[in-house]
Amino acid sequence: MIALIRLRLAGFLRTGRAVAPLLVGLVALGILYGGGRAQPAEAYGVSAVVLFPVLAWQTKILLDVEPDVQRRLAQVTVGVARERLAGLLAAGGAALVTVAVALAFPWLVGGVTGPVDPADRSVPVGVALGLWAHLLVVPAAVALGALASRASVGGAGYGVAVLALGGVGAVVLGLTGSVAPWLAPPIMAAARTTAGDAAALTMVGLTAWALAWSAAAVGGYLVRRRARG
Amino acid sequence: MRLENVWLRYHRRGPWVLRGVDVRIGPGEVAVVLGRNGVGKSTLLQVAAGVLRPARGRVADRPRRVGWVPERFPADQPFTVARYLTGMARMAGLGRAAADEAVAGWTDRLGLAAFRAVRLPELSKGTAQKVGLAQAMLRPPGLLVLDEPWEGLDASTRELVPELIDEVLAAGGSVLVSDHRGETVRLPGARHWAVADGSVTEETPLPDGTVAVIEVAVPAARVAGTVARLRAEGHQVLRVRPDARPAPPPAGPGGADRTPDEPVAVDGAGLAVDRAAGEAR
Repeated sequence: MIALIRLRLAGFLRTGRAVAPLLVGLVALGILYGGGRAQPAEAYGVSAVVLFPVLAWQTKILLDVEPDVQRRLAQVTVGVARERLAGLLAAGGAALVTVAVALAFPWLVGGVTGPVDPADRSVPVGVALGLWAHLLVVPAAVALGALASRASVGGAGYGVAVLALGGVGAVVLGLTGSVAPWLAPPIMAAARTTAGDAAALTMVGLTAWALAWSAAAVGGYLVRRRARG
Repeated sequence: MRLENVWLRYHRRGPWVLRGVDVRIGPGEVAVVLGRNGVGKSTLLQVAAGVLRPARGRVADRPRRVGWVPERFPADQPFTVARYLTGMARMAGLGRAAADEAVAGWTDRLGLAAFRAVRLPELSKGTAQKVGLAQAMLRPPGLLVLDEPWEGLDASTRELVPELIDEVLAAGGSVLVSDHRGETVRLPGARHWAVADGSVTEETPLPDGTVAVIEVAVPAARVAGTVARLRAEGHQVLRVRPDARPAPPPAGPGGADRTPDEPVAVDGAGLAVDRAAGEAR
């Protein structure tokens, strides 16, 4: 399975299609951090929200790069379960690299500042909260991207619709006072938490929520794959 | 390996491509899947290989290692031949050294040595097809599924395909192969599975010299043309009669053992055609 993950990552990188989502992500972060300096926890919370659709799109591209017949060859060679898992893990690995870039980016462009007020959080705590917010986004984004992949939905149009719906839905349904916040992964709630009091219990709850949402979305992906043969 | 009551369709409301297929193949056996275009040969092979999941029924006792050679090799991938095959060998569970050895061996044998550093999209169709063949053989498969393996191959590699099949059979594996070019005459011991209307029937080869008579009705105006065409195809036209009523058995080879179940002419002019004469070409 490691061989399949490596082959898929290599295919993703060598076609050059990895560049588009990374570039869009960097532009979005550039706009975000161009507005002025912010404290790490607050800035990273928003960065994670921005990254959610980017990582989902990156996942879709990574999974779609492989021709359909090659995906079937991989399935025959390693088995159904490992073929599915290898795709998700390859996408997760690629997402972690993008997250690392996103975490380093504001320090390179001077988009973050240390504590200004004695009540402010220290830089390490802020970075840790930011890391949590980003890691929360990764499984949800990978699951959404997988759900939007060609192997899951077929035509390209449907895939884009799933991505757009998921990306916009996560923001709209995540707004304070949303009627059905549980329909979306808690990326907005996580951003509010990192910017606010960051209570441990809230963070545990949000982590569980994000994992449950991701598991449900991955379940949907597996059902779609099964239905499509 | 057995396919038990396998039903398959590609869409929920689509037509059934396979309807209640029951076939089995044992170790050391090869079956040739025959049928016209679009009848479901590839579908049957992909169910056997484990690429497609039947909607109903099941595939039992499929060998653990399956080699599948798709009809068209997916050459639109950003790898060189060597990198791709090494990746596939590693995926099949070979260690680094064993993978390198298998790739070197198979690229040499299939005449791909000169193409090891060439990227897959730059290969000709036939060369890409050889890569498809190589990836299935890197680790000796217990079931080898070949979908039109002769397509696009040069003469020397076409000769090699039966050799590979024999090796898999000798090692106790099973082989399924589809073919519409008549290349399967190279596999004299093969069983024949005929796919038609979603079902698969095993054709038992008749002993040499057995003939059957088919009565065909054609519009009277086209009799001369039809007779000429059938003769050109190597059939023996026994006689032409003007009415379409069932006729007493015609004189000639095979005519004597016609049973009441055989098709009869229903309209226009009746032709009695010696079918086996055409098949024996």
